[in-house]
Amino acid sequence: MEQAHARVLRKSARSVLFGSSAVALLTFFCFQVHVDFASAIPLYLLVVVLQSLTGDFRSSAIVASLSAGCLDFFFTEPLFSFRMTNPLNGLALVAFLVTALVITRLVSRVRTEAEFSRLQEERLNRLYQLSQRLLTLEPEMAMAEKLLPPFSELFGITVMSIFDAAAGELFTFGDSQTSLAERTREAYIHEHDLDDRDSGTAIRCLRAGGKLTGAIGLEGIQDTAETASALAALAATFFERARAFANASTAAAAAQTESYRSAVLDALAHEFKTPLATILAAAGGLRETGPLAAEQLELADTVESEAARLGRLTTRLLRIAKLEREDIRPRLELVDIASLVTQIAGRYSARFPDRRIQLPGRSDIPEVLADPELLRLTLGQLIENAYKYSHADSLVTIGIERLDGFVAVRVSNNGSSIPYEEQNRIFERFYRGADAIRSTTGSGLGLYVARKIALAHGGTLELESRRAANDVIFCLKLPVSKDESSYALTAN
Amino acid sequence: MPSPRTNVLVVDDESSLRRTLRASLSASGFDVEEAHDGETALSTLERRPFDLILLDINMPGMSGIDACRRIRVLSPRAGIVMVTVHDHEDDKVHALEAGADDYVTKPFKLRELTARLRAVLRRTRIQDAPLPEVLEAGNLKIDLRRHLLWQGQEEVHLSPTEFDLLAFLMKNMGAPLTHVKLLRSVWGPEYGGELEYLRSYIRMLRKKIERNPAKPEYILTEPWLGYRFCNPSDPDSPPGTDEDE
Repeated sequence: MEQAHARVLRKSARSVLFGSSAVALLTFFCFQVHVDFASAIPLYLLVVVLQSLTGDFRSSAIVASLSAGCLDFFFTEPLFSFRMTNPLNGLALVAFLVTALVITRLVSRVRTEAEFSRLQEERLNRLYQLSQRLLTLEPEMAMAEKLLPPFSELFGITVMSIFDAAAGELFTFGDSQTSLAERTREAYIHEHDLDDRDSGTAIRCLRAGGKLTGAIGLEGIQDTAETASALAALAATFFERARAFANASTAAAAAQTESYRSAVLDALAHEFKTPLATILAAAGGLRETGPLAAEQLELADTVESEAARLGRLTTRLLRIAKLEREDIRPRLELVDIASLVTQIAGRYSARFPDRRIQLPGRSDIPEVLADPELLRLTLGQLIENAYKYSHADSLVTIGIERLDGFVAVRVSNNGSSIPYEEQNRIFERFYRGADAIRSTTGSGLGLYVARKIALAHGGTLELESRRAANDVIFCLKLPVSKDESSYALTAN
Repeated sequence: MPSPRTNVLVVDDESSLRRTLRASLSASGFDVEEAHDGETALSTLERRPFDLILLDINMPGMSGIDACRRIRVLSPRAGIVMVTVHDHEDDKVHALEAGADDYVTKPFKLRELTARLRAVLRRTRIQDAPLPEVLEAGNLKIDLRRHLLWQGQEEVHLSPTEFDLLAFLMKNMGAPLTHVKLLRSVWGPEYGGELEYLRSYIRMLRKKIERNPAKPEYILTEPWLGYRFCNPSDPDSPPGTDEDE
């Protein structure tokens, strides 16, 4: 800063020296050829104007004063004295001085403004170049060292620190002598910008939608505070773009992984079907080939029933994988949901004889408009979960009630619970609770698909687990057909 | 088993399944021959007729559906049972449209398969016989000429459309019938997409003839395909679906 000041002073001194020399020459010349006072005034004015074209206002004012002095000393009576006998001469001299100063002032202002415009244009040009350079950078390069070079080449930035409040991360590019990173973080905490001209540091807080989102610190900056703000804004924009790109890439990768997983599941299930059909045909054939001993018959039956079960599991897995991938288009018809629940619960209670079950009493439950196959899948999933994730002697309770425009089926089991932090996640694709992974097998798709089916029917599927109570309640709500009569056509 | 023994052509590209089916079906009283693809099946059929053809829908080369269409032309009287995969629901509709008489879904129990084969065989055998005026199933008795239905000793009143629908179902006893086929046959050829009509009439019929309409014994739903009328006293009638696992 001091150097710049000295440079300006030196430039002024040179300008004064040049102007003074011109005034001295003019004085010598006019004195030799006996130019009178009136004629000398415009000549001096010319010199002052010429000088002000190159020098600043301060030096021009000095030269103008010197000219006034010379005019008084060499050209007014009495000569070689600053005194004046004719007051009109004094008036003319004052008019000269005022005119010279006004002209000088105007000229230097025009020059300053032109200079400022030039700087402004040049600054804009560099900012434009910087934004162009940033645009050509690959978004994934943002976190790397590639971000700094454009800033340093165009604006002399030596260090850059970015504090991202959302992620709580602090990135620094370049080696800072003034612990820029820490100062950037502090600026964010105290929520105020900083301009330190001595060290060429500028720190700006970043806001989005009125909210503080982070801070950017720049070191080595030689421009004005406005430039610092513009640079910070550019860096922040690019940083955001890179972050959005990174998020999008992660999401795309996750989607692809899921689609692969689903495809593998699908292929696997298909590959299972033919061997299973072969086993079933062989077990059945064994029974037909001839008289078997009772034990042999029992073994053949076991092979057959277990292979058949594996086949049903495979089919269900395949169907769930398909429903997971595709849009669900239910083929609606009126379904007696109460009978369906009783039917499905009956099958599962036979498979888990050590659980106690409480079924809904038959009451006036209206039919729902649903795809019976999909509804069977959803109810089966809920009832199976209640059995699978509870312990021996647990009570599985199924209740159905009519609500306003809905039928609600509640499936609950006691003796187990879903941790609070998992409750919001159990409906996510492929999510399996920590306990679930330990205790039973599953694809992590069942509840996701069950909810998808419920939503496709205009209903809901929710967890009503209470944190303190040691039980899990799932509630499936399906809309009652608005106009049951439109389906119950009168017989013609 | 009827005599002479029923002969079955098993068409499947999986050799282990083919061999196992040959052994098991032979043990169940069928004469079995194998073909590993559609072309071989057609050339075998050109040499000699078969009573039944068990045809896999997924085969390399000529698809099962194409093979079915050509076999139907070659052997109009043979019973064709297609082997489908569960999750491709449209396959069943395509199979029936291509001329198949019925289908089984992989993986299937041997008993289920033999029941299907026997039922199809019976239907193809009675194809040529004149349709009797009175049909019976379980405790239902329908008089096609006089438009009357009895359940046991009691007469059941049906509307004309209900009667036509039930009559069509009972005439095709044991056969899977698609929604479209039912609509066109009962309501007329210009129908086909009006599923709600069909469903509401099926509901009405079930209320009138089933002991528990929610668990029907006569009019079974073939998921996403249509309906099948079953005779509960027929040992070869398909068992109820048991899909919850």
